[in-house]
Amino acid sequence: MLDEEEFLKRAELDRTTLEVWIREEWLAPMGSAPRRGFTDMDVARARLIHDLHRNMGVNEAGLDVILHLIDQMHGLRKALAEALATLRERRPQ
Amino acid sequence: MKDPYDVLGVPKTATPEEIRKAYRQLAKKLHPDLNPGDKRAEERFKEVSVANDLLSDPDKRRRYDAGEIDASGAEKAPPHGPYYREYAGGAGHPYESQGGFADFAEGDDIFAELLRRSREQARRRPGADLHFVLSVPFLDAINGATRTVTLPHGGPLEVTIPAGVEDGQVLRLKGKGEPSPGEGPPGDALVQIVVEPHRFFTREGDDIHLELPITLKEAALGGEVRAPTPTGSVMLKVPRHSNTGDVLRLRGKGVKTRRQAGDELVRLKVTMPTEPDLELDRFLADWTPPAGYDPRKGM
Repeated sequence: MLDEEEFLKRAELDRTTLEVWIREEWLAPMGSAPRRGFTDMDVARARLIHDLHRNMGVNEAGLDVILHLIDQMHGLRKALAEALATLRERRPQ
Repeated sequence: MKDPYDVLGVPKTATPEEIRKAYRQLAKKLHPDLNPGDKRAEERFKEVSVANDLLSDPDKRRRYDAGEIDASGAEKAPPHGPYYREYAGGAGHPYESQGGFADFAEGDDIFAELLRRSREQARRRPGADLHFVLSVPFLDAINGATRTVTLPHGGPLEVTIPAGVEDGQVLRLKGKGEPSPGEGPPGDALVQIVVEPHRFFTREGDDIHLELPITLKEAALGGEVRAPTPTGSVMLKVPRHSNTGDVLRLRGKGVKTRRQAGDELVRLKVTMPTEPDLELDRFLADWTPPAGYDPRKGM
């Protein structure tokens, strides 16, 4: 778990942008200010937002849609993986 | 190393705008987080990033065109940390979404049943474990202590450090980790202990080692000297004719664990006065070591 200072450094973020991203629900730290905790996953997610925004020119409205779809895609991938794993277990030897 | 113009698919005469456009096109196709199932995406995306790093910097591009640096010079493009996809497959994180398949779970076919079951498992999943490192003064590690640590989020946490805890040991505090994302039990807090060094004590197993300076007189004639132990000072009897390197054992004054107690091993070190002592000089001028005495014999 990272504290806010450490997170801002690793995610290359300033505090104002962080507040915006949290308000937009692009980031969801544990706890609430001023005692917020961040995970390595939050760092990777911030980097993804940077990639999309800075390097690929995605605007804020687009970011919202993309993040939402990416999360759904991972939800689906996991559901599919779990369903497949259960099927494999059940298959008679 | 491939030619960066080839990697981005642009002519050598491309404008910065064309380069940026080409990079964006490729990044959209190749970014690992937009291709979570493509294991090779990361390698290809890196290639494109390296090429872009070189060609989007006017100075680097000029030097590359002039043959001053080759494409490998740009290989040190800032490393991209782990991609989001490495984490997104995990369980119980705040970004989990079932919006893509919730309707499938409502039927009565086999897929719906499997989905319902995996949802149920997710609901009962315990919270994640919390890891942190706690630095403990040497004597607290020997004698035991209670420390209050403040977690990055959530309240203070009281950690009981058991007597005799070792450097690197991990304490597990049950139920003090992250809360469950669903209705499962909370995770554990795992506290790794780092024992700070002491000014004069060191530890080996359950024994405490100490180097104790004594005077020439105490060494020659013996006597009682005060010796520190982790639980306070004791009087130590230095025998007559002691020498540097002699080890005296204080039984039971080492690390006390629940099972047993170690010893403190006191290694004597004969120490000359720090200020010149004329009386000692005078005395030693008259002193003749016995014939044949040579402390360097055999060297």
